[in-house]
Amino acid sequence: MSKDVSVNVHHVTRVEGHGNIVLDVKSGDIKEIQWQVPEAPRFFEAMLRGRHYDDLRPITSRICGICSIGHSLASLKATEDALDVSISDQSHILRRLAINGENMQSHILHIGYLVAPDLFGVGSVFPLVGSKHQDALLKIVQLHRLSNEMSDMICGRTTHPIRLVVGGFSMVPTEKQLREMKQRLTDAIQPTQDVATAVLSVADKLPDFSRETEYIGLSADNEYAFYDGYINSTDTGAFKDYKNYTDVMKEYIVSQSTAKYAKHHRKSYMVGALARYNLNSKQLHPLAKDVAKMFGLKPVCYNPYMNTIAQIVEFVHNIEDSILQIDALLDTTIKDEKPVKVNKRSGTGVGIVEVPRGILVHEYVIKNELCTKANCIIPTNQNHANIQHDMEELVPQILDKSEKEIELTLEMLVRAYDPCISCSTHYLTVTFE
Amino acid sequence: MSKPKVAFFDFASCEGCQLQIANLEEEILDLIQLVDVVSFREVMKEHAETYDIAFIEGSVMRPMDEERIKEIRKHAKILVALGACATIGGVNKIRNQWDVENVKKDVYGDAKIKGNKYFDVFPTKSVDEVVKVDFYIHGCPINRDEFKKVVVSLIMGKTPEIPTYPVCVECKKNENVCLFEQGKFCLGPITRAGCNAICPTNGSPCDGCRGILDKPQVECVQEVLDRYNLTYEDMKNRCIIYNYTKEEC
Amino acid sequence: MKSISEEDLNCFIDALIQDETYEVHGVQSKGKRFVFAPLETAEHLRLEYDVTILPPKKYFLPQYENLMDFNLSQDFSVSPQKVDKPLILIGVHPYDIIALQQTDKVYLDDQKDDFYQKRRKNTLIIGVDIQNVSEHSFAGSLGTHYVDSGFDLMLTNIGKKYVITIGSKKGEKLVQRYAKVKDATDAEVKEIEKIRINTLNKFKKKVQVTDAAGWSSLLVSNYENSIWEEQSSKCMECSSCTMVCPTCFCYDVKDDVSLNMRDGSRIRTWDGCLLKDFTKVGSGEVFREDLKDRFRHRFFRKGNYLTERYGFIACVGCGRCSIACLPNIASPCDIINELSKSGGKGKRDTFFIKQKNKTDEKGIIHVPRRAIIKKIQKLTEWETLFTLEFEDKKPLGHKPGQFVELSIFGVGEAPFGISSPPSDDPQFDVVVRKVGNLTSKLFTLKKEDSVGIRGPLGNGFDMKEFKGKHIIFVSGGTGMIPMRSLIEYCLDKKNRDKFKYIKILYGAKRPCDVLFQDKIATWEKCDSVTCKLTVDTCQDGECWVGSVGLVTALFPKLEVDRIDPKNTKAVVIGPPVMFKFVIKCLQTIGIDDKDIYVSLERRMKCGVGKCGHCQINGVYCCKEGPVFNYAEIKNLPEAFE
Repeated sequence: MSKDVSVNVHHVTRVEGHGNIVLDVKSGDIKEIQWQVPEAPRFFEAMLRGRHYDDLRPITSRICGICSIGHSLASLKATEDALDVSISDQSHILRRLAINGENMQSHILHIGYLVAPDLFGVGSVFPLVGSKHQDALLKIVQLHRLSNEMSDMICGRTTHPIRLVVGGFSMVPTEKQLREMKQRLTDAIQPTQDVATAVLSVADKLPDFSRETEYIGLSADNEYAFYDGYINSTDTGAFKDYKNYTDVMKEYIVSQSTAKYAKHHRKSYMVGALARYNLNSKQLHPLAKDVAKMFGLKPVCYNPYMNTIAQIVEFVHNIEDSILQIDALLDTTIKDEKPVKVNKRSGTGVGIVEVPRGILVHEYVIKNELCTKANCIIPTNQNHANIQHDMEELVPQILDKSEKEIELTLEMLVRAYDPCISCSTHYLTVTFE
Repeated sequence: MSKPKVAFFDFASCEGCQLQIANLEEEILDLIQLVDVVSFREVMKEHAETYDIAFIEGSVMRPMDEERIKEIRKHAKILVALGACATIGGVNKIRNQWDVENVKKDVYGDAKIKGNKYFDVFPTKSVDEVVKVDFYIHGCPINRDEFKKVVVSLIMGKTPEIPTYPVCVECKKNENVCLFEQGKFCLGPITRAGCNAICPTNGSPCDGCRGILDKPQVECVQEVLDRYNLTYEDMKNRCIIYNYTKEEC
Repeated sequence: MKSISEEDLNCFIDALIQDETYEVHGVQSKGKRFVFAPLETAEHLRLEYDVTILPPKKYFLPQYENLMDFNLSQDFSVSPQKVDKPLILIGVHPYDIIALQQTDKVYLDDQKDDFYQKRRKNTLIIGVDIQNVSEHSFAGSLGTHYVDSGFDLMLTNIGKKYVITIGSKKGEKLVQRYAKVKDATDAEVKEIEKIRINTLNKFKKKVQVTDAAGWSSLLVSNYENSIWEEQSSKCMECSSCTMVCPTCFCYDVKDDVSLNMRDGSRIRTWDGCLLKDFTKVGSGEVFREDLKDRFRHRFFRKGNYLTERYGFIACVGCGRCSIACLPNIASPCDIINELSKSGGKGKRDTFFIKQKNKTDEKGIIHVPRRAIIKKIQKLTEWETLFTLEFEDKKPLGHKPGQFVELSIFGVGEAPFGISSPPSDDPQFDVVVRKVGNLTSKLFTLKKEDSVGIRGPLGNGFDMKEFKGKHIIFVSGGTGMIPMRSLIEYCLDKKNRDKFKYIKILYGAKRPCDVLFQDKIATWEKCDSVTCKLTVDTCQDGECWVGSVGLVTALFPKLEVDRIDPKNTKAVVIGPPVMFKFVIKCLQTIGIDDKDIYVSLERRMKCGVGKCGHCQINGVYCCKEGPVFNYAEIKNLPEAFE
């Protein structure tokens, strides 16, 4: 087959941030396939120069609006690691709830608002209003509201949380709020399953494409890891020396992108819900396992489009987990604790958490209460190379399709990764004094 | 009356303010009844070239962004700056403390970025430093209720009312224990209200994300600083997070 | 009087919490401070507290209060808000009870506020005698550390027991029903006195002047004292002092519309006289712009304006303002003590005039009546006349000089002078100049559309005083709008013989700005009427037969020798800058100040002397005015300066 194809998606829509897809095929020959990231760089590392450690959390939260809780928690873990602060059990549980809330919010937004339109054959969620899918849409909105309100309850605000501070929380929810939230979470299980069923009915629209790659994420001994754990890989297994995370996450610069790329022992790897699922699926809560089964999801799944399905599975898991965490808080009655006092003034610390799009690392050097060096490894950066290599392998397989179909398939690939490009354009690697 | 065409655009930002539109939840359905959303890259594929109201999120950092926003201004009847990055520059202006070359070297080191237009940055500008802004929705992120009020006002042909008083007014109404009493340095007294004092209400001091009041009572600030053993330098340092200016803040 | 053990008191309170017919709120800790909040268990109650962050006024005039809901999909659909379940408030200190009694004077005795009244009736107050004294409080020296009435029950802690003083039938019933009490012994009753003396000794802060007359006269003699300038230079203009004050009750009203553009509500929220925009009107003018004046205003309200009006010091010495004020300049105690040291510096004597008319009618407070636009007539480029009629076709029943508050739901409410003369005709006119949101919206309405009207409001002209007199009407700009009501009343055949010669002086900006040109033409034709018109500027090519110049330039054209100043009344209505000059002209031709009447413009928001925005020193422009006798108001510093 010899034909010309030219795809130039200038700013992929329904993703967070600015990314371009460029494909140039002349007489069947692939001249160029490129995943470009032209987002304006924002220089967060420079911003942190000389800031007090209390300011690092609120500033790095502003790296990304969608995963601001994740950045906040990675930032706090790094700061607390540097200054030897250990938070209370109560704070620990509350932070796990915070991460659940954000994961739910981000996943349902991605599934419902960003991916679903492709599956239902529309350009955005708006045309779904009044369509036969309205019921599913309203349930998605309802679950999105619940996720946000859980974050509001724990963090004071869902986007750019307020109560997350060094040493714990500036304020905690009341027992009454927790009880009400538990009830709402319990009531949300049915609509979640309904949304899953609705997605299942159109799941055949997800392209059947597989490419073997490496999956990296946090794992823990006794739970499906989000807040705590060690770095794990489907290729190389556990890596427990967390302070040397750069041995696993090797970043490099490419010319078509203001964001960095990363690799480990292959040419690329993937992080995110699918990576976590591939690494930790045995530790999912029961209802989440049922949903995985419903979609026929099994580890290791090498189809990047299934990332969205892994997100649905995790959404259910987060609900189940939140109910358990709230029970744990109610068992010991919630106390109005003050944040733990910080006694050290200097140190180096690393904070690693799983955020909706994958494993996130913050590292700080703090001298006399002021930050002197920061590094940050963003999930989406770790996925850029994998997107590029997926495209390179995918395009020859779909060249027989129309230009429009090729374009859509490539866009859907990018969307499946749920890239968070605002995040990924913040290099945080350089020493400064 | 035909529905006004509304477009959302983002520049250097975290896109958290646009996310607040999605966070309107069920009310987003009311919004799309009320206006015709013609461009909103974060959630829709379609895009139109003309619009009545353009909401701009983010700061302007590069010549290519400057060109783009001027183009948007040409097509928009009303231009609204959405969120701190757009209204005052916000956290993006922290780096304006240093000149661009210094910052670039710090961030990119020896990597080859010269001649790459994506990296061609100048000191961060708020939107009104580049084009005329008709209305402001302050905050980091914006307050959803205020966004709704502004939209409703614009549809009804009203001038949106943005508070001219400090955060303290709302903080007092919320019956918070004053952050100064708790030994924290709060910018509430000199910051424009409208956020319902959300940070102090959640136990954290105000960082000034809605911008400093038009005419803050700077002389009396010294009085307060002295009382709480703080210095003018401390205050300038606190103001850097959202309100860095070359002049005194 | 009864006595109860601490344990049984807790049982009593828990029983109240269990009773689902009540909402129970009480004093609890919040960080290191205290607040009134919903009570879950008696254990949370902290009756030994010193002072709460906010006073109990938040239960009667909430921070944000929904006054009414409206539905914009219908032409005129409004439903006043219902007041919630009965409330029991536990742990109110005596000074806060006194503050509520003061607020009652304003909100119940003068033009009843329905919402406030319902909440007051709906609430039982269980007070508690002060056990710990806030370091900022000076209630002891004001005698507000104890109270004999104003509560349903009063608790006094005597060791491990409390004495309960019964203050009302309702309170007594609660005790009978839920509390395990004994009759208090004589010794226990005597203990109360001891406890109060004990408390009095705990106050470190004392105000040197303790009586209402003392505060009032001290402030009067210090109006121009430099202390206002000095202290206000440290003020952050945050109005925290008024927010936390138990006796501050000024408010603002705003309309909220939801994104569905159907449901909306009118919200009342606390406002503060220290805020810059407090006195700002639609046209952008700010009547008390100088921070020094705003700063002084608050103290004068506490110790002179409200004091002269109601007889009490509108400060109960709780000290909340001092706690809230970061630069620590808010305490009335400090100011009074400072002033009493210095004696009088800069005396001014009039801040207050007695209200003449008392209105207590329905349809005046909050919820407007529906009126229909019957006619729209464009008068000039900027001004349009709207003829309105109530849906029940009842006449407005106004006097010349009165005004109405006109509402458009979703946009808001603003005051407009009534332009038509009093009449039995159900229709009345307002003339509107396009300056702000409300007026812009009004200009988009059509015939038969509805608006809301509250009124007539304010003090109009007392026509009896004009009987048998010559009258000079001087108006400038939009001042002609309300003036027309007065002129047409006088020229009405039924009334014409009551008045003698009528002279009308009227100045507008440009020929095209002259209002009521057709009316003026008919007035001129009447017997014994002189009309003199002038414009500030007249462009080439504009047709104009009158004078060019300010309205004061018309005075030489009056045949002065034909004026009998002792038998002449003058009325002046116009922009603020005009008064001084016109009044001087009137005085020059021999007219006495008491024969001059003015109508003033301020930010008249509530129209019933509560919200505080229109105050000219101690005078509510909306209630005592807008029509004033010049002799009475001329010495009010804020009236013309």
